[in-house]
Amino acid sequence: MTIIVPDKGSGTTVVLVLVLMLLSFVFISPSLHAEAAGEYIAIRKQGAGKVALVLDRSASKGSKESGLAQNLDAIIKDGLIFSDLFSVLPPPSNIRTGGDGKGSSLNFGALSSVGAEVYAGGTVSRKSGKVNLGMEVYDTFGTKLLMKKTYTGSEDQLRAMGHAFCADLIELLTGKKSYFGSKIVFVSNKTGSKEIYQCDFDGQGIQQLTNFRSISLTPVFSPDGTRLAYTSYTSGKPTLYIRSMSDNSIAAVGKNGVSVDPGWRNGSEVATTLSFEGDQEIYLVRMDGGISRRLTNSRGIDVSPTFSPDGKLMAFVSSRNGMPQIFIQDVQSGQTRRLTYSGRYNTQPSWSPSGDKIAYSTWEKSGEINIFVINADGTGLKRLTSGVRENESPSWSPDGSMIVFTSNRQGGKKLYIMSSTGESQRRLLQMDGEQMQPSWSLFR
Amino acid sequence: MRTVKPLLRSLFIPGMLFLGACCCQKDVVVAPVPLPPPPPPPPSVELGDIFFDYDKSELRAEAVEQLQKNFDWMKQNVAGTLIVEGHCDERGTNEYNMALGERRANAAKDYMVNIGADPARMQTVSYGEERPFALGHDEASWAQNRRAHFVGQGK
Repeated sequence: MTIIVPDKGSGTTVVLVLVLMLLSFVFISPSLHAEAAGEYIAIRKQGAGKVALVLDRSASKGSKESGLAQNLDAIIKDGLIFSDLFSVLPPPSNIRTGGDGKGSSLNFGALSSVGAEVYAGGTVSRKSGKVNLGMEVYDTFGTKLLMKKTYTGSEDQLRAMGHAFCADLIELLTGKKSYFGSKIVFVSNKTGSKEIYQCDFDGQGIQQLTNFRSISLTPVFSPDGTRLAYTSYTSGKPTLYIRSMSDNSIAAVGKNGVSVDPGWRNGSEVATTLSFEGDQEIYLVRMDGGISRRLTNSRGIDVSPTFSPDGKLMAFVSSRNGMPQIFIQDVQSGQTRRLTYSGRYNTQPSWSPSGDKIAYSTWEKSGEINIFVINADGTGLKRLTSGVRENESPSWSPDGSMIVFTSNRQGGKKLYIMSSTGESQRRLLQMDGEQMQPSWSLFR
Repeated sequence: MRTVKPLLRSLFIPGMLFLGACCCQKDVVVAPVPLPPPPPPPPSVELGDIFFDYDKSELRAEAVEQLQKNFDWMKQNVAGTLIVEGHCDERGTNEYNMALGERRANAAKDYMVNIGADPARMQTVSYGEERPFALGHDEASWAQNRRAHFVGQGK
């Protein structure tokens, strides 16, 4: 059952409930008031399943266009399947009425009969060296046009064009920006030494970002993607570096002692653990590598800072009570409370982009390491992985719908993704060596 | 006679010296001046690793003994410097272990400085769980990996 309600902010008040009547061939369709694209937010009940979508083959004229259309169709299909929000159905043979040519119209009855809730189809054409992808999306039960948009780009931008459509479609149906266009940075020992790599949100387009032949660790993009913070042993000891992605200029935090596991705060500062004053404390560091100020003050390890989206609160790992646990500190007042009480070894916190949840890993008595999610107020603890060895380093997708993590469930450490509630756990990419410490960008 | 005796005596000494010098001229090369016996060489001290309990950076009793030996190495190699590497076993998570490794290296260095080592000749570096010594996945390997490793340079 799908409930589609108009965005409350739009002023529309009618709530429409679409009931798929299983025992009846007659479907009484309440009319959908689709005045403009973006008004609908499909609220999917827990366990309601995926949106049944028919993705039509894009129409095209000419063999060149036909090839481009095939590529685009495959990109869009892969993107929609990756999102885990759709079951993508093949178009029924009688999808059009009134012949194949112009003037034919969509056969909504046929679409409904195969169970499609949404239809998406497009046309591909070329004009002055650019590719145009015109996409239309219909609500099949209401037979209403939900969205009509043209995407333009060069022939080497097909992926970006297809993903732009996927992003628009998902935003239309969920009311939220998706992760299409985002990147994941991670560490791999593929070459024999740990280097930093990035890939697209779907594991495609792997790129090596460092070639230091040293040990490089814990990469994380700034929220706007212009900078990358990471720890590297190029100087002989673990040092924090902030690299500009545009001109590759690098600022180092030139302090004694370890400098590990940076976390961005508001895109203008990086928090990291430093030990130049003796104990390991968390400090805020400016873009030029200078120390802004010290945040923690406790005996023992303080490490792995992650911030609420507004930058006001910091979750971090501390061994102040003995074994490592996760704490939350008010950055302004310094007031600190313990977040995790379940489990003896809780580390690697990651604050969700929506601000309400924190994912982290627990080293359990069984020897497994599992990923948990907890509300920032300490309620709602939920285990997302179990029974599959060591699952570590959770990091949220920018829309909060997915989590990327490391698992050695099939041998060596590899990158996996799952929904934010732990469903659909699967490999993100195929790559030699081990992969670890993934961090999903907030930009897209 | 009274005046002749000192004269003879005074001639005798340079005479003997002359004769002696003549005799010695050949012998200087072949007869070495006997050297005092060399002092016995001090027993050479070897640097050794120290090991830690699980999730701990406190020094065990046998670690303290080894640190004394490592300090002796510094006294013996007065120009030598030490790199103290802190390591962890593979269990637990990498970022936390990076911090734990540093605490182990610091605990070793602090103890040696307290018993007289020159901190300027010692550097610490944490490798977390990045550089295990033993590659097994059992307690025997883990116990060998929870260590502070000492690298001597320029002795």
